[in-house]
Amino acid sequence: MAEDRVPTWEDVARRYGRKIYTFAYRLTGNPDDASDLVQEVLLRVRKGLANYTPGSFEGWLWRITRNAFLDEVRKKKRRPTTQLPEDDRAIVGSTPSPDEVLASVRLSDDVQAALLKIPLEFRECVVLCDVVGLSYEEISSAIDAPVGTVRSRIHRGRKQLRGLLTWPM
Amino acid sequence: MADVNHTHEIDVSTHIDADVECTIGELLSAYLDGELRVGELDLVVSHLNDCLECIAEFHDLKEARAAVRMMPMLQVPESAMPAAHYGPELSAFLDGELTADEQQMIVKHLQTCTDCLLELQDLDGARTAIRSLPGLEPPTPIAPRLPVHHQRTSLRRLGVAAAAVIGAILITFNMASSGPEPTAVDLDQLADQHNVRLSVEDGVSGVPVNAPGATP
Repeated sequence: MAEDRVPTWEDVARRYGRKIYTFAYRLTGNPDDASDLVQEVLLRVRKGLANYTPGSFEGWLWRITRNAFLDEVRKKKRRPTTQLPEDDRAIVGSTPSPDEVLASVRLSDDVQAALLKIPLEFRECVVLCDVVGLSYEEISSAIDAPVGTVRSRIHRGRKQLRGLLTWPM
Repeated sequence: MADVNHTHEIDVSTHIDADVECTIGELLSAYLDGELRVGELDLVVSHLNDCLECIAEFHDLKEARAAVRMMPMLQVPESAMPAAHYGPELSAFLDGELTADEQQMIVKHLQTCTDCLLELQDLDGARTAIRSLPGLEPPTPIAPRLPVHHQRTSLRRLGVAAAAVIGAILITFNMASSGPEPTAVDLDQLADQHNVRLSVEDGVSGVPVNAPGATP
């Protein structure tokens, strides 16, 4: 997104809605929590856009997203659920064969389950990096931590994740 | 990482704990992501030439990253998307209660959104209708003037007097709404009646509120 203009709320919803939802789902493993988070984030974005100063939009957006997520976690006073509902069946894209779909879902479920087992601080960095596609600098801005911390968390998160994944790769 | 046993010669100085992992370890993810800082790239590349353990770890990290990246992006359920239209902001917009930036944002939105424009017109109509209601003159005096010493002596009595006043106002407004002409009620007299009754009931020999001869 261009750095020198303020996007409209519709732009943000259209362009980032899926990413925010996927980010939330990968962190929580729960479609209801993910939906709640998308709503909350987009409402905060709509309110915040009025005072947004053009700059690092991604950093701004993901800071809002991350704060909204932490607020939800605090509000519910519980650890994110480890339930794995049917959401990964809602895969989009071209039309793969049934076998490919099933294999993809199984793999996705395994990785999702493993993600939920690693500490939240590592998980959010890994998800922001590998699901959302942010640079270390952008993650640093989003989670308000030094780049060195981001680097360490991503590394440790991936190491733990690999240890939890049992299937051959 | 499955196995950390070294079967080759390694430079122990590059290890925090030779049994666990190389200090270079943390750089491997950054290397994978193209996030190394200046000067770190040579260090990592030369280390990977010598350390089989780190090569294995790099491979593991690469697989973990690929696994996460292979997960699909998900569809946002329609119910999760908040309405693109403005709600409470429109009333605040009408009342000039938004910041300049917020106001500008609404104006911009209204240029393309017929739904919000229609809602704004509805809200404006409702606001105009409410504002066009005639103002009613409150009956005067609106509250009895109480002597200072009576205010101190009996809170209960004041409560009763206040209730009497409120009751009188309600009666007044009720009459005003039911009849063409509002009828004035003597609030002083009403309050006096209640205070006299209170004094008799309580056996208090106090002077009724606003009674002639009451000491100010």
